[in-house]
Amino acid sequence: MPVLGINIHMLNNILSAFQEDFFLRALLALFLSGISAACLGSYIILRRMSFISTAMTHSILPGVVGAVILGFSAYWGALIAALLTAAGIAWISSRKGTSEDSAIGIMLSVMFALGIALMGLSQSWRDFTGLLFGSIVSVSTEDIGVILCTSFLVLFCLRLVHKELELASFDEEYAYLLGARPALLRSVLLILIALAAVASVRLVGALLTTALFIIPATTGVLIGKNLKQVMIWSVICACGGGTLGLIISYTFQGVPAGAAIVLGCAIPYFIVRIKNN
Amino acid sequence: MAQHTSNLRRLIAESFNNLFPAVPYAEPENPVAGDLAVEVKNLAVSVRPKSLPIFSNVNFEIPLHCRTALIGPNGSGKSTLLKTLAGLIPHYTGDVKLYGSKPRIGRSRIAYLAQSPQLNPDFPLQLKRLVQMGTYAHHGWFEECHHADEKVASALKLLELEDLVDRSVHNLSGGQLQRGLLARAAVQGAEILLLDEPFAALDTKSREIVENFLFRKDNSLTVIMATHDKADSQQFDRVLEICEGSLKTIHACAGHKHPHA
Repeated sequence: MPVLGINIHMLNNILSAFQEDFFLRALLALFLSGISAACLGSYIILRRMSFISTAMTHSILPGVVGAVILGFSAYWGALIAALLTAAGIAWISSRKGTSEDSAIGIMLSVMFALGIALMGLSQSWRDFTGLLFGSIVSVSTEDIGVILCTSFLVLFCLRLVHKELELASFDEEYAYLLGARPALLRSVLLILIALAAVASVRLVGALLTTALFIIPATTGVLIGKNLKQVMIWSVICACGGGTLGLIISYTFQGVPAGAAIVLGCAIPYFIVRIKNN
Repeated sequence: MAQHTSNLRRLIAESFNNLFPAVPYAEPENPVAGDLAVEVKNLAVSVRPKSLPIFSNVNFEIPLHCRTALIGPNGSGKSTLLKTLAGLIPHYTGDVKLYGSKPRIGRSRIAYLAQSPQLNPDFPLQLKRLVQMGTYAHHGWFEECHHADEKVASALKLLELEDLVDRSVHNLSGGQLQRGLLARAAVQGAEILLLDEPFAALDTKSREIVENFLFRKDNSLTVIMATHDKADSQQFDRVLEICEGSLKTIHACAGHKHPHA
């Protein structure tokens, strides 16, 4: 009997998802990646670094494609591409007359175009759809190991420099005066974004990885009164929204998991936004 | 249960922080030699290398515990002089010493308050946390922060901010924020305060509180305060006037004299 549009059959279907191995593996990967992406995302939003994080996540495409073609781990390829992007942005913006925004725009477009060109050269488009749009339901135990290590490393580094990052994000001049090098902290943050992007690419794909960083953290910023609360709410929204997305994808078979996760993460944002209005 | 959770959290935090030795942000301060807080000889400052100096041939000395007003019209270089003393402008010629050392970053005993502090308007931060940040001056990389609650409470009381501790810094008035930043400097334990037009955003009540903080007899602060309003300088022990590229006059004011000066 339908209750609020959800019938018993649908509920059973949702509950049966939690008995499937692939679903539980996907959920574990999502939680691990979501926690690090949400914590990092809080800094990205509060420091207005959304554009550079988008560039970093999109630019891993040529690295992953190149690694698949050359036959080594896609994770190493992604990491190298992300670090090259960060270095490229720093190099281009160091020239007089080119702002950092323009440098980010150049690197984002060039790296993404390079990825598409490499896909074309390999003459096998179908192999790479998982990289573009994610394939969380096929994550292996090895993938979970990589995601676990990168997430742990990201959270560990964030914890290590938490007080300096908080200070430099709020009052950069005071942080500089105390000797807590804000420029170094920004570089550390970019490297951590690269690492977290590598961990998330398998889940939602190169095109949508940036959403995992930005949407839950933006929701957290709307709710939290301090950095700790922002991070906690970001993690709740990433994990809760992501789980909702996975269930949607499981229930409606045609919906790709990566897109469903991003849509699931967007639901808490719109609820909070409308409530705040 | 709450006690066990708290103990466990403390144990994890301590184990975590014991993994890495604390690295200080900067070299430790040398002990003060003599009774001079600031010595400046033949100072010339350019904002960019090889550009014309904003002022040149500036010479002055400020004794410990002396309250000094730095007056001059807009654009005369007051802020540049304060920033040079704070270590924010590296391009200068001449000899400058604060507490016997050249200006540099990472000095816990010196605090600089800009005329318009560039605080991140998106960052959610409560006033208490802002004041607690003053303790970071005595910490280093990889070190857990201890927030010196007594110092924080005392600074908040001194600047009459006790009722606003949980308020977001972005919801404070200009005067309340200025007092919050002074409370942070007090928690930092700064002995030299470099203040750039601190009275500009203050109403009468806030101004009175700040003046009480700066001029109370039981503190040992050395204050250098830039202002374009000569009337502000009446309470200071010493007045420096910067005008047309050089430091023109140095004289003691007829007003309040601090007992330490």
